[in-house]
Amino acid sequence: MTQLWWTQVKSVIRLEMKKTFVARRGLWIYIVALLPLLIFFAQSVITSRQREHSLQIASQGEKALTYQDLLAISSGMTSDEVIARLGKPGVRRQWAVAHIHYERYQYSDGAEDLSLKLADGKVFDVRVGHVRNADDDSIAFAGVFQFFYLRLAIFFGCLGVFMNLFRGEILDKSLHFYFLAPIRRDVLMVGKFLAGLIATCVIFVTSELLQIIAFIWSYGPNMREIYLYQNHGLANSAAYLGVTALACLGYGAFFLAAGMLFKNPIVPAAAILIWETMNPFLPALLMKFSVIYYLKSLCPVDIPTPPGTPPLLALLVSNPDPVSAPVAILGIVILALVVLYVSSFQVRRMEINYTTE
Amino acid sequence: MSDHIVFDDVSKFYGEILGVNRVNLSIPPGVTSLVGPNGSGKTTLMNLMTALVRPTRGRIRVLGLDPAEPEKLFKVVGYSTQFDSFPKGLTGFQFVYSYLRLGGYDSQTADQLAWRAIERVNLTDAATRNAAGYSKGMRQRMRLAQALSHNPRVLVLDEPLNGLDPLARAEMIALFRSVATEGCHVIISSHILHEVDAISDQVVLLSNGYVVAEGAIHSVRNEIREHPAQVLVRCDRPRDLAAKMMQSEHIIEIRVHNDERGLLIKTRDADNFYLMLNRLALNGIEIESVAPADDDVNSVYEYLIGNDEVVR
Repeated sequence: MTQLWWTQVKSVIRLEMKKTFVARRGLWIYIVALLPLLIFFAQSVITSRQREHSLQIASQGEKALTYQDLLAISSGMTSDEVIARLGKPGVRRQWAVAHIHYERYQYSDGAEDLSLKLADGKVFDVRVGHVRNADDDSIAFAGVFQFFYLRLAIFFGCLGVFMNLFRGEILDKSLHFYFLAPIRRDVLMVGKFLAGLIATCVIFVTSELLQIIAFIWSYGPNMREIYLYQNHGLANSAAYLGVTALACLGYGAFFLAAGMLFKNPIVPAAAILIWETMNPFLPALLMKFSVIYYLKSLCPVDIPTPPGTPPLLALLVSNPDPVSAPVAILGIVILALVVLYVSSFQVRRMEINYTTE
Repeated sequence: MSDHIVFDDVSKFYGEILGVNRVNLSIPPGVTSLVGPNGSGKTTLMNLMTALVRPTRGRIRVLGLDPAEPEKLFKVVGYSTQFDSFPKGLTGFQFVYSYLRLGGYDSQTADQLAWRAIERVNLTDAATRNAAGYSKGMRQRMRLAQALSHNPRVLVLDEPLNGLDPLARAEMIALFRSVATEGCHVIISSHILHEVDAISDQVVLLSNGYVVAEGAIHSVRNEIREHPAQVLVRCDRPRDLAAKMMQSEHIIEIRVHNDERGLLIKTRDADNFYLMLNRLALNGIEIESVAPADDDVNSVYEYLIGNDEVVR
């Protein structure tokens, strides 16, 4: 019997896969999934160009400089003192306004830039290019992941895919094709769920992987090495991919159930979104019936709340009651299985009456 | 396993709207036609026996099986619905093949069964084309192929002749008859009464969600007492025959045909009428033929339901 069910599940997956991946109504899911990738790709391109520019300035300068050399310059120094310490600048521009002679010097150590403005031979403005900090970057990445990718992109992407597994077929008036086959309704549901899970995992995990690559690519080779192997970058990347897959599992189960219960996707989407957002304010027991509760515990980088953040917002950002990774993984799997078990009763009760849809 | 399809006091309400009410039926093998105007409950009955909808009350058994167990039911039931849409992106062949694969058939068997079913509905040439581009008649036939593909013992066909040209209709009617003679149940809903007449072993007449009559057409006709039976008699001396017939109390009306070779007789008691006719034939009137003039679905429908929305 199990062999038959598995054969049937595979048949359902085969049928669903094409529909899920190439459905016209699902095009927006790709756009949402790829949006953060565009951000990190753009950042990577800009950073690469900046690095090239810095190298060019450094190579045009008279001396090979260190970051400490750049920090040694301060306002009030004369141009002779600057040149004596740093050599002739890689880039030098001059202009005059109202009989005042202005100059701009640019130096670089190959990674960071120093920009000086001088008036009549005296430095009055010193700017050192901000040092890229792997910790800050990690927090920025975590912010994009937690507040856009996880809570919006994956959330709404799963809504689009999983709610359409049954609801879309009802709108297309083709669900009877499945309901007239000698297949248990719950086996059909499992097949459809797995098809949705594969599709969302492929789309969102792939996008996450590309985001990580684009993010790491923006570092120079040395910094990349440090980030990956000394700053937990590799472990964090694996965690992000895992959280993405688990998010698809958890939200997928909820939206599959919602697709069988509701005609209008806005109602369950809003309800689940509010439930997920309100999670930090829920009693301890109810918190556990939320996908984000477990996902937040699995996110590898905590986002600090700057001083002065309103307490309400700080509570939303923080994770006051994290659970261990094994408990979180088990929790989300059990939650998904419970929702699917309840859904199996609903699918057995489903009727086809397209005219009322 | 029972060989009947049984509805036991079945009612179905869509909210406050009546689908069917208090239906008691026991459908034997052979071709059974569900006849009635739009909204009479034909499709609801079909959807109930295939669990696309669930009864509000009552119990249904299809050859002893509970329709709520599709994994068992659809091993023996094939249903060609009126729903005119196919899963997106499938060719006609894939439509039938995928259905068989869903049923657990291996690839090779599913392939063979799919092609055999497609051949039975004469759609082999178009089978590899995308089903979305099919004409209405082709879609109808491909749905029929799907319903037939696993050699079911019960074939449920909702308006199966819609969209078919006359030649295809004749072919499909022959196919239904051949399936029925193999011992299958063929349940057909149709508006087209003369075709129902040609196909059916028994009819179920529905009106406003109620079963008005069921059984073999002749039996149903005999049950309709308020409408006298009409019989067409061809003979050599119609006026003599008419004079003798009028002596009987159960004869209501006699009309002599224009060609003076026949009579249309209306009687309240068909059985007595035929006995009387036998006696008269023995007394010298040469009877060429005797044929009931209203012993068909058309007349039965008109007597019981009226003449709304039917095609004769």
